[in-house]
Amino acid sequence: MAVTPWQLGNIFGPRVAIQVKGDAAGRMIKNAKHPLLVAGGNVLKEFVGDKLYIEFIVELLKARDMPLIATGASYKDFADRGLIPVQIMNAVEVVDRLRDSDWSVDGKGPHDLVVFAGLSYQYLSQLLSCIKHFATHLRTICLDRYYHPNADLSFPNLTEEQWMENLKLLLDNARLR
Amino acid sequence: MEKGPVRFSLKSIESAGLTARDLEVIIGGIEVPEVWEPLGPTPMPKISTLRSWDFKLLDRYKPFYMPFCDQCCLCTYGKCDLTRGKRGSCGIDMSTQQGRIVTLACAIGASTHASHARHMLDRLIEKFGADTPINLGSEVNVEMPNTRLVVGVKPKTLGDLSQVLSYVEEQIVQTLSTTHTGQEASYLDYESKALHLGMLDHVAMEVADVAQIVAFNFPKGDPNAPLSEIGMGLLDVVKPMILLIGHNVSEGVEVIDYMSRNNLGKPGEVLEVAGLCCTAHDITRYESSAKIIGPISHQIRFIRSGAADTLIIDEQCITNLSFIEAQKVKTPFIAVSDKAAYGLPDVSEWSVEKIVASLTTGGLKGVFLPDLDKAAAVSVLTALQVAPLRQKFKVIPDVKELSIIASKCTHCGRCRRNCPIDLPVDDAIYSLKLGDSSKLAMLHDLCLGCGRCEWECPNHTPVLSLMMKAAEAKVKTEKYRIRVGRGPILDTEIREVGSPIVLGEIPGVIAFVGCANYPEGGLDVALMAREFARRRYIVTTSGCSAMSIAMYRNEEGLTPYEEFSGAFEAGGLVNVGSCVANAHISGAAIKIANIFARRPLRANYEEIADYILNRVGAVGVAWGAYSQKAASIATGFNRLGVPVILGPQGLKYRRMYLGRREDREAFTVYDVRTGRRVWIGPAPEHLIISVENRKEAMVMIAKLCLRPNDTTKGRMIKLTHYIDLYKKIYGKLPEDLHLFIRSEADIPVTFKDEVLSYLGKVGWSPWELPSIDPYYSENVFRKYYRGG
Repeated sequence: MAVTPWQLGNIFGPRVAIQVKGDAAGRMIKNAKHPLLVAGGNVLKEFVGDKLYIEFIVELLKARDMPLIATGASYKDFADRGLIPVQIMNAVEVVDRLRDSDWSVDGKGPHDLVVFAGLSYQYLSQLLSCIKHFATHLRTICLDRYYHPNADLSFPNLTEEQWMENLKLLLDNARLR
Repeated sequence: MEKGPVRFSLKSIESAGLTARDLEVIIGGIEVPEVWEPLGPTPMPKISTLRSWDFKLLDRYKPFYMPFCDQCCLCTYGKCDLTRGKRGSCGIDMSTQQGRIVTLACAIGASTHASHARHMLDRLIEKFGADTPINLGSEVNVEMPNTRLVVGVKPKTLGDLSQVLSYVEEQIVQTLSTTHTGQEASYLDYESKALHLGMLDHVAMEVADVAQIVAFNFPKGDPNAPLSEIGMGLLDVVKPMILLIGHNVSEGVEVIDYMSRNNLGKPGEVLEVAGLCCTAHDITRYESSAKIIGPISHQIRFIRSGAADTLIIDEQCITNLSFIEAQKVKTPFIAVSDKAAYGLPDVSEWSVEKIVASLTTGGLKGVFLPDLDKAAAVSVLTALQVAPLRQKFKVIPDVKELSIIASKCTHCGRCRRNCPIDLPVDDAIYSLKLGDSSKLAMLHDLCLGCGRCEWECPNHTPVLSLMMKAAEAKVKTEKYRIRVGRGPILDTEIREVGSPIVLGEIPGVIAFVGCANYPEGGLDVALMAREFARRRYIVTTSGCSAMSIAMYRNEEGLTPYEEFSGAFEAGGLVNVGSCVANAHISGAAIKIANIFARRPLRANYEEIADYILNRVGAVGVAWGAYSQKAASIATGFNRLGVPVILGPQGLKYRRMYLGRREDREAFTVYDVRTGRRVWIGPAPEHLIISVENRKEAMVMIAKLCLRPNDTTKGRMIKLTHYIDLYKKIYGKLPEDLHLFIRSEADIPVTFKDEVLSYLGKVGWSPWELPSIDPYYSENVFRKYYRGG
């Protein structure tokens, strides 16, 4: 069955995200030269199993070191978990800068992959659209449990159990050490 | 070559019996009823008259596009795929297409207000005469600041407003034509056109609101305008009720007048008169005993409650479902605007008695009746006659029926996936099936009320009806107090607060405006408004946001309108009224430049906008903006130099105007004292930006109130709020704080040690020129610079 966007009315265009499973997503993150993780306010609202989504993000960052930008007022919660994001920014401001092919949040060379997690569906959908059209040097992947046609890579729409399984797979395959 | 009115001045003219001096003559333009100050450089600007100002703005605040759709489907060449650098058959690229869509949206918005104003004005002139004076009371001498600024005239009568509106209408047509296939090829030029339309919109809104204020004797800037009732709890009424939905108050006024003429008293005595959306604001401005149900999101649910015995629909922000929903509850339906006639029979030529008979017992479910006098009589008589027959017939199920209806739910999730804000409707309905209605009840405050979930459900579950029942106990208690829209800001108030605003000692003027497409309910708006009023900002509001602010009580049980004064002062909460009353908020910013700072107003747009951008710490917040009108209103504020913050749904407008704090050149201005180009820090950093949630908005609001003109004391006060909010939300000092501290004197005393330590770490040093007289426009700078 063809995958549909999570929001049924958000009919996608000619170019749509490739569906991936957790293992492929993990390898993509592991193999990226300089990935960037953008985590939004919903990491404090959604649960993966019995843990907050933010706990998974913290685990991911321990497994695969990469710069983190905390949006949507999520900074403090990362800091409380001993993980200091590189920067606090509004997600629109981040994507604005990502249009520049030489920009990076940490000054360590341009990013090649942007990993998004925990932004509300429609908000992220619009931001991914901007990157799709105007930041063609980048690849994007979304870790949320809903299919995002405007990303380059996305999970299909998943049940909570399927999502948890895929995130575990992702973690195993993204691990650098 | 640009065509426009021919104007010339005569020092003196003498002929038999006539001697005149300092005459100014305009041919082909608007007759100037009174010359009160010299004509500025840009009377009745055309599409490109203010292009250089727009390009200045767009150089600092660059358009940022997020296409909603990858294709263009506006002509028969299409659909054209514009993905990743491709161009369409007409040659358009994606950026230009986005600028075009934004221009279209602003044209729709501006034309909606302009046509509203035209309908209103023509009727008022017919009813009260073209000579009806524009008099907003002794404390408002600058009655129409947007009109004076843009058009360059000072209207004295309703008839003069007609000429102002003609200019607006002509410019909207001219600008709209540029969106035809194959016209404009530059996204920046499209943005300039959108800004032009936004500016026109504020003139149109001003015409509409001032016309209704003077003709209907609405409050004229009264800080103590009366309180009125608001809330869904009104559905419990037993009296016959006439419900008005829309934006054009003309019919509401006729209904109230008809009741008065026919010994039916005021609203609430024999009949209830209630409204939804902006019509509701304006009927309470006319008669405060009328009632407000709530914002646009309550439409379908309230109709289904069956409380209304006649439903009158006028224009704008009305759901296409209103007639369908009215039929479900046997509520007679009257469409009074030719903009929304619903395919109904035009009964203008019928007698009142025949229409009432048809609607009550004759089987006619609805009529199109643009004759407002007749419609008033029909609505009242119909409500009185039909009320005993329909006995508040409703389609809200009984408690027993709830779980029966929900039992068909398979938890497929399609309702959630068709919800504009992704509410977990599926979980709530499935819980109801299992006997727990609490989840559904909780969605009541968050729901936008669009009903898309119902259309998607394979079982056609009436989700909104179930929600109403699940939340019934709470809904019945929803009765709040709102201060009716007071209209303009008084010149006397401007004189009081002009200095502290421009110097920064009042930390900002915040306008909570716009619609109810909230990400997490209206409570966010109330919480933000209250927070900033408590912090002694001046808080203004209008439209659905003004209603949402009312639907909150503090620890003492007071609504914000009871807690804060209605004055335009530090810590005041000013409800200006309906959407068209937004012109009083932009007008207040203009009046600060004119009344306090004595900047010439007449046809002097660029200078006033430059003044506001640099000196007036005003920020608009459209937390639930959904409409094209909201797009044009915001864009009009932007051209005037006022930044706007949108809620997360606002990203669907497809375009932001973003500054970059690291771009020093963009934030460099002229200092008129020294003649030098001076970096000012990113103040204000953006012109329009969407944020993710309320917490992010709170910090952004405080930051966008910063202006380069702030005095040391003013900057210190503004930074106190910015730092305090930032620390509460992020747990640390702002990461960009050093960009706003010009000298140690700017540092808030309460954070001094911490800030100094931070500044040391980032290598901050005092600015060479911490205090400047800033101008962004070179044109305006040249006017005031007296150096070499």
